[in-house]
Amino acid sequence: MKSRHGMLAATTALLLLSACGGGSGGSVSAPPSPKSHKPVTITLWSGFTGRELGIIGRAVQKFHASHSWITVKSVGGQDDDKIVKAIRGGNAPDAALSFSADRLGSYCSSGAWIDLGSYIKRDKVDVNSFPKPSQGYTSYQGTRCALPALADVYGLYYNTDMLKAAGFSAPPKTASELMRMAIKMTTYNSDGSIKVAGFVPMFGFYEMVPAHIAPSWGAKWVGADGKSSLASDPHWATMLKWQKKFVDAIGYDKLKRFTASTGSSEFSASNLFETGKLAMNVDGEYRTAFINSEHPELHYGTAPFPVDDAQPGLYGAGYVTGNLIGIPKTSTGDKREAAWELVKFLATDTGAQVLLSNGLRNVPTTVGALNSSALTPDPQFAKFLDIYQNPGTDSTPVTASGSADQDLLTAYVDKWQAGSGGDIHAGLKKVDGQIDDELAQSDGGAP
Amino acid sequence: MVTVASLTRRTPTRAATRQRRARFLAAVGQHSVAIVLVIIFLAPFGFIVMTALMSDAQALSGSLWPHPFRWANFHDVFTSTRLMRYAGNTMIYALLSTAGVLISSIPVAYALSRLRWRGRQLALVVVLAAMMLPTQVTVVPQYVMFAKLHWVGHLAPLIVPNFFGDAFSIFLLRQFFLTIPQDYVDAARVDGAGEWRILLSVVVPLARPAISAVALFSFLYAWNDFFGPLLYVGENTSNWTLSVALANFRSLYHVQWNLTMAATLLFMLPVLILFLAAQKAFIEGVTLTGVKG
Amino acid sequence: MTVATTAPPDAAQQAAAQQAARRRSARRAARRRRLTVLAFMSPWVVGFGVFFAYPLVTTAVLSFTHYDLLSSPKFIGLANYRFMARDPNFWPSVRNSAWMILIAVPVTVAFAFCVALTVSKAKRGATALRTVFYLPTLAPPVAATLGFVFLLNPRTGPINQVLALLHLPQPLWFDDPHLAKPSLTLLGMWGVGAIMIIFLAALLDVPVHLYEAAALDGANAWQRLVHVTLPTISPVILFAVITGVIDGLQYFTQGYVAGTVAGGGDAGAGSGSSLGYPEGSTLFYPVWLYQQGFQYFHMGYASAMAVVLFVISLVVTAALLRSARHWVHTASGSW
Repeated sequence: MKSRHGMLAATTALLLLSACGGGSGGSVSAPPSPKSHKPVTITLWSGFTGRELGIIGRAVQKFHASHSWITVKSVGGQDDDKIVKAIRGGNAPDAALSFSADRLGSYCSSGAWIDLGSYIKRDKVDVNSFPKPSQGYTSYQGTRCALPALADVYGLYYNTDMLKAAGFSAPPKTASELMRMAIKMTTYNSDGSIKVAGFVPMFGFYEMVPAHIAPSWGAKWVGADGKSSLASDPHWATMLKWQKKFVDAIGYDKLKRFTASTGSSEFSASNLFETGKLAMNVDGEYRTAFINSEHPELHYGTAPFPVDDAQPGLYGAGYVTGNLIGIPKTSTGDKREAAWELVKFLATDTGAQVLLSNGLRNVPTTVGALNSSALTPDPQFAKFLDIYQNPGTDSTPVTASGSADQDLLTAYVDKWQAGSGGDIHAGLKKVDGQIDDELAQSDGGAP
Repeated sequence: MVTVASLTRRTPTRAATRQRRARFLAAVGQHSVAIVLVIIFLAPFGFIVMTALMSDAQALSGSLWPHPFRWANFHDVFTSTRLMRYAGNTMIYALLSTAGVLISSIPVAYALSRLRWRGRQLALVVVLAAMMLPTQVTVVPQYVMFAKLHWVGHLAPLIVPNFFGDAFSIFLLRQFFLTIPQDYVDAARVDGAGEWRILLSVVVPLARPAISAVALFSFLYAWNDFFGPLLYVGENTSNWTLSVALANFRSLYHVQWNLTMAATLLFMLPVLILFLAAQKAFIEGVTLTGVKG
Repeated sequence: MTVATTAPPDAAQQAAAQQAARRRSARRAARRRRLTVLAFMSPWVVGFGVFFAYPLVTTAVLSFTHYDLLSSPKFIGLANYRFMARDPNFWPSVRNSAWMILIAVPVTVAFAFCVALTVSKAKRGATALRTVFYLPTLAPPVAATLGFVFLLNPRTGPINQVLALLHLPQPLWFDDPHLAKPSLTLLGMWGVGAIMIIFLAALLDVPVHLYEAAALDGANAWQRLVHVTLPTISPVILFAVITGVIDGLQYFTQGYVAGTVAGGGDAGAGSGSSLGYPEGSTLFYPVWLYQQGFQYFHMGYASAMAVVLFVISLVVTAALLRSARHWVHTASGSW
């Protein structure tokens, strides 16, 4: 008891003196390649759960087969918020797989993930083996603190049976067509509540968020001056006005009631699209694997998301965001070396990429895997490979403030779709200011 | 202090025939209010129990009565989640915290009530101030401190501070210690007992109601705590407590409302049993917190 | 300690020696007593220093820095405080917390009083009633909140089902930005048991002769309530209000869980998109502080927010205690 008091007091004094100084930040230089292969156990975190976590487990087994001295403990359900917290709290894993490429800026600029540059050079990893978009979102201001590990591409899912029943033979290609078809396919219960939805235009519902459909309007986050361009790029207002019209056509209140009952069913077998309660939906390519395992009886097709009526040329493009894999700064010594082996394996090994892609139905992120004959896309999945390679396909900008830009826009569109957003131009201008504030200050200012 | 017996005391009435009638009507009114209140207070429990016994589809259908009763939910909730692990963590947190609070707070309360020394009043005021300030005021440096000790992710940051006195418990115990007649203490002192002896053999046995109340509240606080576990073990699922687990239950295990409600019920159960077993200590304890305002 | 001065000289000398010896031993005893006090107080002294005083000072220091727990804190002057004015979530979070304190607390306290009054008037089964009303207090906040979010689900929740049967409007509850906080207030009213017990004890302690005197003066039930009951139990009302305000200032769990669960998100992750759902109406001050400090790791800014919270707590508590002089009747000196 006494000694513990002493210890605490001493620690306290030390902390006060050093003003809680941080650890080793800054640049990392890779040690020479280790000669001995001492047995080592490392931890890998990812946001996957359930079936998907099992696929990761298989890739990890494959890794262990070729790197027998490294044992990997794969922990699922660990999203970016948990990763960020664990690095600060000092209980982070040795390697982390993040779903959100837009976090990269904050991981690199804060030094939370180590700079992989020297390791890449030492082991002669060819960065050009990654397709161009994936090279982009794994590097921030010249620091590459992550490698791409598969990507998510978004498009439109449609239930072919329901389309046929409503007299449609093809998915919508333009925004107005989507609205018209969706309204026709929406059916109601006797009390006026929605029974089956054609499409749910509410932002915040499943994957329906501004970022995922913005490429279909060609809306850009950042202008030429490097400032947030939500107000100055007129496509944002066009997109939001279309969305509001769509929401009002069905009724905000009805949609709210409809979505409120679904809760967090998105990644479960009771997903509304999978259970036929939703005719069309915006979603990522991974959904094809969920449908295969949970509802193989569903007849559905996939297509690029419908585009702005005024810009038909955009059709075919979509939103892409990558999974990142990197090494938190808290991993050191042998573990860091082993983690790098794992990162390198998952990001560059064609066999691993193909195994993951076939299992998770995510888009592979090496040229080798994309061209591999072992890759077995079904027609629905193949559409996403096309969207991925479309020149108009876009991502969210990599900034030091992480996903603050999307969070701030989300806060506004929540009000906007409820009808309390006021003048759209003024509203977006305000969000622009907030995003610029965040950007300016996350490199050392307040907050 | 108010005893339980006095709660059922009746106000003597000055019988007057004219008033009796009015009183009867008023009583009917009061009782119907009481009955309505009872229904309102119990309804949420009822709905939760019903939902916990429904099938997944039925819970979402909006029907109110389970058909059929699906008792397997209570089995499923154990097999499909790590409920036992979370319950074990919660128990460790709650029991060790309670032990810590008792060991550390009783001597402090004694010093603040039965010992005379300069600065006692000031110390008491500081204890009260600490009790009144929101926990968020000091949370950032505490987190930094525990991060530097590499305790984040473990239950230690939740438990250890309890071994250094808890303001609320100190205050509550002190209030009770003050009510112990000085004669008992003096008698022990005449017998040559030291302060530790007096505390352990005179004050503690006499203060058993207050000590039980403090133990119950400490246990309850830790059992129910969400902010602390979210902050310190949020990213380490192996060390989750029931609070944090339940808040993440639906998205983590993709389970529906029926299992969530079953887990909710199981989470409430130990506390409800504890209450029914120690109702007297609870009520006395609660009364004690407010009696001196 | 007085000593007689009328004693003969030699006796006086002896007495002086005795007195010195007594003083020495008294000093020794005093030192021993001081050590005893210190030993008894030591857990709290250490705990107060390490877990309270030091963090409090450090919070103030950190509030002038940019700190992310990865690199050393960087002094940035008042920038964190200046940012509060522009932070799009700061003022809404202040307003949300103020709503809970100014509206939810009085409503809850008044409700607790009414329930206690009902129990105190019960001729039979008062103990059973007390148990029933106290029971919800024990439900863990996370469990209670989850339960309420489910009960109040706009489409499938039992409450709206019952309302539909009665042909009454079915609100969106936790999905309506105007009703989210009232829904949380309902949750608070459900868990009102502890204050109710304290009120009940106080009500039963009101001397009967006061009522009798009032009745003799011809006071009706309402007048007796206003002129006898309320003044007599005013210290307990003050206690309930102070407790409510302190809880209101740190209101976190229920708001956080309700917002994330109703928003379909993941309460552990606090994903930015469902924060304060719907439309920021459940983004309370401590929730935003947590988000800034422990999700974004803007620990300097979170510290600045903590300092503001500290000042507000002091001011509010002091104001309450000061105002209490005017409306609280104290029979005898309290502690």
